[in-house]
Amino acid sequence: MSLEQLSKFVEDGESDSARELAETLLVNGANPIEMIEMLTRTMAHVGELFAKLDIFLPEIMMAGDALGGVVKVLGPYLEKAGGRQCKGKVVIGVVKGDLHEIGKNIVKLLLETSGFVVKDLGYDVDPLTFVKEAETMGADFIASSSLMTTTMPRQKEIIEILKDKGIRDKFKVVIGGAPTSQLWADKIGADLYCYDAKSAPERMVSILETSH
Amino acid sequence: MATAYRLWEILERARTGRFMDEDDFLPKRFTPTLKKLIKQYEIKYDPKNPCPSDDAMADRIWQAAWDLFRDVGYYNTDSHRIIEVTDAEIKEALYMANDQYWVGGGKDARLWKHRTVEDKTPPFCIMSPDITVDEKYHQSMCMAYLKEPLLDGLCGPILEETFGHLIESGGPSEISGCIQHIYNQKMAARLLGRPGTFMVAVGTAEHDSGQIAVSDDNWGVQKTDSRLVGSLTEFKTADTLLNRALHYAQYGCFTGNLTGAIYGGWCGGSEGTAVTTVAYSLIGLMIHGAIYNQHFPFHLNYCSNTTRELLWAISMAGQAMARNSKLLYTSNGFANAGPMTEMLFRETAVHAMVSTVSGWHLWEMASARNKYRNRATPLEARLGIEAGHAVANQGMSRAEVNEIANRLLATYEDHAVDAPMGSEYQECYDVAKAVPTQEHLDMYRRIKDEIAALGVKFPY
Ligand code: B12
Repeated sequence: MSLEQLSKFVEDGESDSARELAETLLVNGANPIEMIEMLTRTMAHVGELFAKLDIFLPEIMMAGDALGGVVKVLGPYLEKAGGRQCKGKVVIGVVKGDLHEIGKNIVKLLLETSGFVVKDLGYDVDPLTFVKEAETMGADFIASSSLMTTTMPRQKEIIEILKDKGIRDKFKVVIGGAPTSQLWADKIGADLYCYDAKSAPERMVSILETSH
Repeated sequence: MATAYRLWEILERARTGRFMDEDDFLPKRFTPTLKKLIKQYEIKYDPKNPCPSDDAMADRIWQAAWDLFRDVGYYNTDSHRIIEVTDAEIKEALYMANDQYWVGGGKDARLWKHRTVEDKTPPFCIMSPDITVDEKYHQSMCMAYLKEPLLDGLCGPILEETFGHLIESGGPSEISGCIQHIYNQKMAARLLGRPGTFMVAVGTAEHDSGQIAVSDDNWGVQKTDSRLVGSLTEFKTADTLLNRALHYAQYGCFTGNLTGAIYGGWCGGSEGTAVTTVAYSLIGLMIHGAIYNQHFPFHLNYCSNTTRELLWAISMAGQAMARNSKLLYTSNGFANAGPMTEMLFRETAVHAMVSTVSGWHLWEMASARNKYRNRATPLEARLGIEAGHAVANQGMSRAEVNEIANRLLATYEDHAVDAPMGSEYQECYDVAKAVPTQEHLDMYRRIKDEIAALGVKFPY
């Protein structure tokens, strides 16, 4: 049994087998940092398959769950090895008045599988709830999705509330959803706009890095 | 409402049904059940045949859809409870469902009847741009659609502004926008001399409150008209949606069930999309009391349904319902390309022909991935609906349509990814007169001739 096998279990979404094999490998002295790097590549590959719809949403979800299980087992080992990686903490939701949740769910999934810790607030979420939840979580990012021009103003309200509370600098504000654009992001003063879910993890990592 | 006699029992189940965490509903209940049923009923996608002639598979898809709804139920995200129904209740509802309704009013009323596979009766045709438009074009666009001879029903464009104010979801501007929407639609119909035209309205309503505000037999959405109740994808609802179902039933207009099963999402591939689409018709009938179902299954990445993996699902779902029920259902086209492109005309024609021969009624046509303001015109819908009428009048078989679809698919399917965005309404139409420009008409004529050369005998 090897790292390759572990990667295969994760890709196939076999959570129990993946978790058990990871435990065995770690007890036998496998390098946790190598393991997480390998699985990050696996997940990137799974993400590419999904982007082409060679696999579908349930399959990538299952792979994500399997990875999540392994990461839990890996946690203590990674900490010892000084390699614990959390790319950032995110609260995500669909803004008030809007029930279109499919895009948001895909973004959430890709963020989780690329190493972000994500709190999902669901849909029809009040701007103030985004802010309060972000404070409670100690989030790095507030990510909001809007699918209708009629609910886009709620994305702006999130930023206004942050300003009024004097905590605008504490969070990076990320926006997305079909009718939103870079232009809208500039207009409301969001930190990042992503056209699709695929590009979000990398671009979020990079804005966090540049701000440190 | 088709199943009004059960209304209160169903609504009660939305509060008292089995509890489940929303996070578990799709991954642990919906998708595994669907996968199991696809295997059990040996449902298999065949990429060579976007319009298959497989009666036995159609019947198995029907059965799988029935089992899916009965075994999974319908989840209410507000109460976190599952509304479940029994076999006996499904049977009862299907027995009680009418196979025809008179819709619309006065001289403009139309009889809308169940169709069978390869039916020679032309489909009932609802036209809709399915998109938002600038306030200044709204009335013109309503008028332009109503000028279409083969239109049986109109679902008008959606407003984003009302008297210069941005419509904000759930607020007073939405209520006002909804009233403006129905006034424009009705005024256009009256000015054109077809005031009783059947209408599906109002798309501008994002909330139950917006819909409720326009229920009025004198100036609003009349009882001879229809409105839609959506679902949360897949198999989920919320109180704000159930409120609509209740209000429409109590008001007394025709309820339509709006659903778009997503290819690539929780349904998986073509097989799951077909089964889920059929199951949604049962949900529409039993939970929303819908007299018809308005389906727009679409591709997760393209947001379209004119490529073969979606056409197969549409065709099989239509055949399954046509052969096993007497329900009414419309097939809503979603194209990749935008207005005044040859690709959009071809996509619409293929969608309409495959749907028609498979037993569907038509709802045409969302263009440019249903994403961009002002990007839709009546002319693509016209071509689709003419093609639908032709296929029915001629008594074409599924095999014949399959061949034509394959020929046309060859011209566009590789461009699903990079389809042209085309032009906006005001670039393709004379806005003041609500008629197409010569350039647009010429393109329509050219593609119509091209399709006629493939053996499609257009009515005129
Ligand atoms: C499916 C759909 C529905 C389904 C939603 C099911 C669900 N549970 O989500 C149903 C049928 C319920 C529905 C209802 C309605 N809908 Co609708 N719907 C759509 C449709 C066709 C597709 C949306 C979708 O899921 N796309 C697929 C996903 C994967 O794409 P996406 O959401 O864009 O997400 C991607 C990116 O944008 C990005 N992203 C998204 N969010 C975020 C967030 C962050 C932080 C980041 C980084 C990235 C990111 O990543 C995703 C993956 O790449 C769109 C048209 C369209 N093409 O967008 C209309 C559309 C959004 N709907 C529209 C309308 C009008 C309605 C209704 C009002 C209709 C009605 N009258 O009842 C209701 C609204 C109810 C409400 N209050 O919300 C309009 C909105 C118009 C406007 N004013 O702007 C649209 C644009 C159609 C149109 N052209 O008119 N709808």
